Amino acid sequence: MDKLVIADKQFTSRLLIGTGKFSSSKVMASAIEASGAEIVTVALRRVDITNQNDDMLAAIDRTKYLLLPNTSGARTADEAIRLSRLARAATGINWVKLEVTPDPYYLLPDPVETLKAAEVLVKEGFVVLPYINADPILSKRLQDVGVATVMPLGSPIGSNRGLKTREALEIIIEQANVPVVVDAGLGLPSHAAEAMEIGADAVLVNTAIATAAEPAKMAYAFKLAVEAGRTAYLAGAAAETKKASASSPLTGFLRNE
Amino acid sequence: MTMTNTAKHPDIKEILADRGLDGCGKEIWAKRFEEITPAEVEWALSRKAGYYVLDRLLILVSPAAENFIEQMAQLAHQLTLQRFGRTVRLYAPLYLSNFCVNDCVYCGFNKSHQFPRIRLTIEQALAEADIIAKEGFKDLLLVSSEDKEFISVGYLCELAAKLRPKFSSLSVEIYQMTTEEYAKLFAAGIEGVTLYQETYDRDTYRKYHPAGPKADYDYRLSAPESMAQAGMREIGIGTLLGLSDWRLETLALAEHAHYLMKRYWQSRVSFSFPRLRPAKDVDQTQFNLLSDKNLVQMILALRLCFADAGMTISTREPAHLRDHLVKLGITRMSAGSKTNPGGYSGSTGSVEQFEIDDKRTPAQIAAMLKSQGLEPVWKDWDSAFAKS
Amino acid sequence: MGVLKINGKEKTFLDNKMPVTLMDLLTILGVDSATVVAELDGQIVERANFTTTPLRDGQSIELVRFVPGG
Repeated sequence: MDKLVIADKQFTSRLLIGTGKFSSSKVMASAIEASGAEIVTVALRRVDITNQNDDMLAAIDRTKYLLLPNTSGARTADEAIRLSRLARAATGINWVKLEVTPDPYYLLPDPVETLKAAEVLVKEGFVVLPYINADPILSKRLQDVGVATVMPLGSPIGSNRGLKTREALEIIIEQANVPVVVDAGLGLPSHAAEAMEIGADAVLVNTAIATAAEPAKMAYAFKLAVEAGRTAYLAGAAAETKKASASSPLTGFLRNE
Repeated sequence: MTMTNTAKHPDIKEILADRGLDGCGKEIWAKRFEEITPAEVEWALSRKAGYYVLDRLLILVSPAAENFIEQMAQLAHQLTLQRFGRTVRLYAPLYLSNFCVNDCVYCGFNKSHQFPRIRLTIEQALAEADIIAKEGFKDLLLVSSEDKEFISVGYLCELAAKLRPKFSSLSVEIYQMTTEEYAKLFAAGIEGVTLYQETYDRDTYRKYHPAGPKADYDYRLSAPESMAQAGMREIGIGTLLGLSDWRLETLALAEHAHYLMKRYWQSRVSFSFPRLRPAKDVDQTQFNLLSDKNLVQMILALRLCFADAGMTISTREPAHLRDHLVKLGITRMSAGSKTNPGGYSGSTGSVEQFEIDDKRTPAQIAAMLKSQGLEPVWKDWDSAFAKS
Repeated sequence: MGVLKINGKEKTFLDNKMPVTLMDLLTILGVDSATVVAELDGQIVERANFTTTPLRDGQSIELVRFVPGG
């Protein structure tokens, strides 16, 4: 399988995994292992000083996976920028998944704040992977400021509804100069395969795996789906053929040449 | 400025060299064209139309695809209809000068040719423009040979400022300039530039452009990008069909268009199809002239790869062919053109750059379009909206 | 006696129990320094400097760490 290149790093796996919503760190670790993912997202939260929680992330081997901090919880550019700086201070890694979601119901990303934050963070040397709605113009604007990928959603976070934004995703993919990672709303392996078939460079899956009855098995299914989709894309799948409508010939005049 | 972050991206020169499209891979490509099978053409036509992939265009311009031209035409017609509706834009060229410092072998205005040269003063140009405006045109293309001393950036800006009240769209087809110069033109109200690479094959380019500033292939190649960086809304590119292998030229042209579209997403790229035509004092036997079928195949192949590109056909082409081409993807055409400076008023008796074939008046062209169920569009975008 | 604002909440310390450095505070709270990010009065403190960063009455500390998230 061809390598995924983001910024200055290469990856074999085109499946990114989110670590939220798992029932335990053991389940999370086995799902990540089964998925074959090399990039794993994590969030930043205030430490609960009244209650020492189980550190779920201790179960993740930091040498094997790239921990990609996200700025979930940020509702403004300033908050996202602050969280990004904190994350960099913690790990020394300057990669960040930029997520600015002021809407607590659908967790849809704010395009204005995302663009503002991206511009600042890129200037500060971050490798920025912004989470956005499937907006082709916003994608171009973000690429203009220098983001490393764009991450348009398939459908709202946790909705598991698949590629509701397919038409827009196709435009984004066609016009992109950076890798396109479809993130959010992928509920079934077939959704992930579909995203890869239309030319996405990678997908990010969290809820569908974490909330499955057997997360590790579901993670493996997604792994296979992503590989199948990518292979199909590279093999050159034919598009749906439209029925040719009967109409008068347009090139008959050439036969007299 | 709308430049996408291109820190890690190769430029068009490197891309063409890499793909062997600047002449260095011509034998390989020639072989590939011949090897395309009918099955591959069927596959290419089954893919979603309107998206560019080099391998698919290769198939569509191949000899094997000639047998599928009717199917290509139907698809291209449908796609053009969806994106552009039942309309064709009309424009007129205004030739400002036939003085030239270049020695292009194929051109009637070549500096070695002896004939009385004419350049129009601002007043004369305005008089020509008035005649053009009376025909109903709102879309004007200012054309000149490389007469930089007289038809300078300053001249063009002054002329543009005076023409803006009368024309809603001003564009130019002139010698290659720098980004700063294009930016000045843009500020003066010119929103489009057309510039043909003539040929993307370096050897052929050298052969036909022996002297003058135009002899610099790389500078010429970089001009469309400079236009885009200067903010030009419309960028017209093309090759002079007949200089080199048209199939290979189409691939190079497409790569150039794709490059510009990816990086300068706020500009619209259009294709033109200047096909070598008889010109005074130019020997025709040295060229690889295209048949009508070749020209049609090229237009269809490009339309099937670029759903939103403008496609322009001038009055170089005969009337009967233009009448068919408007159903095959063409979106813009000139009418009633005069390719000699002062030609509209007839006052200068000057020499044409090339012979016009379709000599119909704008009114006749408009009537032809209407008879085909197409609406002639005189005014597409009014630059008055964008500027104060 | 001293008061520190920790993650938005004020906490009062008796004189002999007031943390001297940031590292002291983490120890008192039982927070593992290896996985935490600290901000003191809005400035990020490098982990290497936890033991040498003094705390004063009235300062504001944010303790943040990586948790699971999508």
